[in-house]
Amino acid sequence: MSITGQAATKPAPGLTQLAGVFFRIGNFTFGGGAATTAALQRELVHKRRWLDEGAFALSYALARVTPGTNLLAFCTAAGWLLQGWRGALLTLLVASIPACALVWLVTAGFDTWSSNRWVQTGIEGALASSVGILLASFWLLVRPYLTARKWKRSAVIVSASIGLSLYFDLAPIPVLAIAAVMGLLWKETEHL
Amino acid sequence: MSFFALYLLLLKATLSSFSGLAALPILRDDLVVQRHLLTDRQLNTALAIGRVTPGPKGLYIISVGYYAAGFRGASAAWLALVSPALLVIPLLEFAGRKANDARVKRVLQAVVLGSAGISLSATLPLGADALHNALSYGLAGGSMLLLVFTEVETIAVIAAATAVNLIVSLVASGLVRPA
Repeated sequence: MSITGQAATKPAPGLTQLAGVFFRIGNFTFGGGAATTAALQRELVHKRRWLDEGAFALSYALARVTPGTNLLAFCTAAGWLLQGWRGALLTLLVASIPACALVWLVTAGFDTWSSNRWVQTGIEGALASSVGILLASFWLLVRPYLTARKWKRSAVIVSASIGLSLYFDLAPIPVLAIAAVMGLLWKETEHL
Repeated sequence: MSFFALYLLLLKATLSSFSGLAALPILRDDLVVQRHLLTDRQLNTALAIGRVTPGPKGLYIISVGYYAAGFRGASAAWLALVSPALLVIPLLEFAGRKANDARVKRVLQAVVLGSAGISLSATLPLGADALHNALSYGLAGGSMLLLVFTEVETIAVIAAATAVNLIVSLVASGLVRPA
């Protein structure tokens, strides 16, 4: 799916293929929504080329400013771009129902499993891996914008976002609003 | 409390947040302080469960719903979780028509870059919590390299990290002896 005339993408997947990817990635990736979105980006943009960078950026950016769980909004947006309403509902359902059912089951049996040493050890391994997923996600997100003309602007926006989040404890929406204003005013990318 | 009333309470929390745990103060005020449907301990347990299960951290709201009203509450929480996601479609309809406008492109790129910065900031506390020995650093570094430089499935990387951690712990505990 290309909405910005960028690099060619492969034909939109069928509903079964779409469901398979969102089921696997949406329900089995540890490390929170950012890690899961990163895994989806890698799958949809880099491996399967169903979405180009522009379509991904559109879905990702709008999901970040949609109330609620950003990951589910991203899944809905990607599904809608690839298969319309059917795709949006399908990706939303397959990315949410199994994971929610797991949370429900874990809650119901929390006292039993939480004291199991081997369950804890397995989770520790998955969480360590999720740190790597988040770092890979950061690189995959930023890499397309580090071209010769864009890198200064990109570096300033990323650094400002990190600084505002870490040192000024600003919530994500104000940080994104500041980034958006910087993007609007900094016209360096117009020719790219 | 009826299913619909609980759904509306949980929806109020999900609609008023834009990231993982931002709905927490509203949930605590509505369900713990005002209506006594769950305790602070249960709320903390729900957060812990959201932290160690796959998917977004916001799924802790399923545990909150379960503690408040059993399976019915968990179902209301699921509905409250997925409802706001549909709001992205009218946004896409509007922004998609302007996706080739240079200003819109610049704004979208900047939001993606800003999000990347926010995500990296959020990685630091997760790293401080999850990385505490050479093996965990190795698993994180190895996972990152595999994901950036190879086509290996993400789920396979996570499964491998889980298995390696278990095997090393089993060997260290003496339950399994290396060949």
